[in-house]
Amino acid sequence: MGPVMVGPSSSHTAGTARLGRVAHEILGEDPVMLRFFLHPPLERTFRGHGSDFALVGGALGLDVHDHRIPEAIRIAEQLGVDVDFAEEDLGDVHPNTVRIVAKGAAREVEIVGSSIGGAAIEVFSINGFSARYKGDSPTLLLFYRDRIGMIHQVAEAIAREGINIASLSCSRKERGKDAFMQVDVDSPLSSQGLAKILALDEMDDARYLDRIP
Amino acid sequence: MIASFNELLAAGEGRDLAQVLLDADAEESGFTQQQILDALAKRREVMWECVRRGKLNAGLSMGKLVGGEALTMAAAFDAGKTFLDPLTVKTMIYSLAVMDENSRMGVIVAAPTAGAGGVVPGMLLALEEERNVAPEKTIRGLVVAGGVGSLVSLKANISGAAGGCQNEVGVATAMGAAAIAYMKGGTTRECVQAGALALKNVLGLVCDPVGGLVEVPCVKRNSFYAVHGLTAAQLALAGVQSIIPMDEIIDAMVRIGRALPRGLKETAEGGLAMTPTGCAIAERIKGEANDRRQAAADERERVAAERKAERGEGKD
Repeated sequence: MGPVMVGPSSSHTAGTARLGRVAHEILGEDPVMLRFFLHPPLERTFRGHGSDFALVGGALGLDVHDHRIPEAIRIAEQLGVDVDFAEEDLGDVHPNTVRIVAKGAAREVEIVGSSIGGAAIEVFSINGFSARYKGDSPTLLLFYRDRIGMIHQVAEAIAREGINIASLSCSRKERGKDAFMQVDVDSPLSSQGLAKILALDEMDDARYLDRIP
Repeated sequence: MIASFNELLAAGEGRDLAQVLLDADAEESGFTQQQILDALAKRREVMWECVRRGKLNAGLSMGKLVGGEALTMAAAFDAGKTFLDPLTVKTMIYSLAVMDENSRMGVIVAAPTAGAGGVVPGMLLALEEERNVAPEKTIRGLVVAGGVGSLVSLKANISGAAGGCQNEVGVATAMGAAAIAYMKGGTTRECVQAGALALKNVLGLVCDPVGGLVEVPCVKRNSFYAVHGLTAAQLALAGVQSIIPMDEIIDAMVRIGRALPRGLKETAEGGLAMTPTGCAIAERIKGEANDRRQAAADERERVAAERKAERGEGKD
């Protein structure tokens, strides 16, 4: 069964709200600027289905069933968040795909993801790194400098927390430069556990996303 | 992990279908069976609240194309002016009530999607009420419905954009049919047969919403496919069998979805959306949206000018 949600469309309202929420969770703070770049088929239908306020609502941190979702654009205005929408051809992707740029006081996050139906989502790019996030397990997103032994250190730190790794994948922009690791785990990670991973040498940023309920 | 209906049939032979699905889901997700049942109990409550609100409310949808369908049907039923049996009529009323609420941006349960979200609650809640089914049984019915939807989604994207309405209302009616067969005491085989019969007879259904809104034909269509699901469950429980197995029907659905032209997959660029009436409605909605955007932009400018004026005064 799908989630409890505000209508009218699970792809356009709930799925897009979840994509916005992923951007919010990675950002980890209140956004001051939000930009939504909609793949052409989504751009044509998104206002009718309420994707505009769903995306904004999610990016403000609202749940898919939050009754304030329809008011999200007004709420963003009241909070002084700079919001804008534009069309952008995102290539050979699912029709309902969006690129989200969210800026806070400390971080800036960019994700590209699709709302694939029944409120399910797939995020396949995070800050320019290829990713595969569906929200079906607790997930660690690690940004670090590409060095020998990083996977070993991360795996060891997670094991010390008594947590099993379900899957792990890395990508990097250039050898020895910025790299990204996505680690899906079987049980939740505490904030202390996350802090330990963030404290590792060469670790620039570590974000933890809970399973989407 | 159970990855196909064939495997489900094997695992569920002579066993309670909801229990088989609960066992599999608990193992895969790490949630306890009680947590899963509690989550579904919550969804049943939201469904009932949604039905109760929806059948009393004639408020118009966002695009003003729908809104009072459930109320109209409920009024006819209460006045003794309906001719179908009460279970069927309530199935229609409840599915319409959920969809009316959905079109007004009310809180609903995606089952499996919002646009097809009236089918499962319409069928299950009407049966619960009309046949005095215990709520716990309905909740186990939701386990079956969810299990069917999950298995389909392993092979097919559940959205009109992926494969037309067959992927949405078609999957919903299969979920509902299997759940009804279960709640009426059907075996695992009969439940899967009910799902197969329901899905097989929706194949090819396109997604061509007028103005791109989840209103026309979506709202009324949910009541049609809720009753369609009852038909499938009744056939299966009587022993009628689908010649094509469920897994192969899903494969066929995916292939048909790929073959459908883009204009008939939620783009509002074909079918009903492109009829003269559909185009006129789309024009009106677009105009109204532009007016709203303009009004919002004007308001922002006005507020900005006011603030600027205030700051200016502060300096003096």
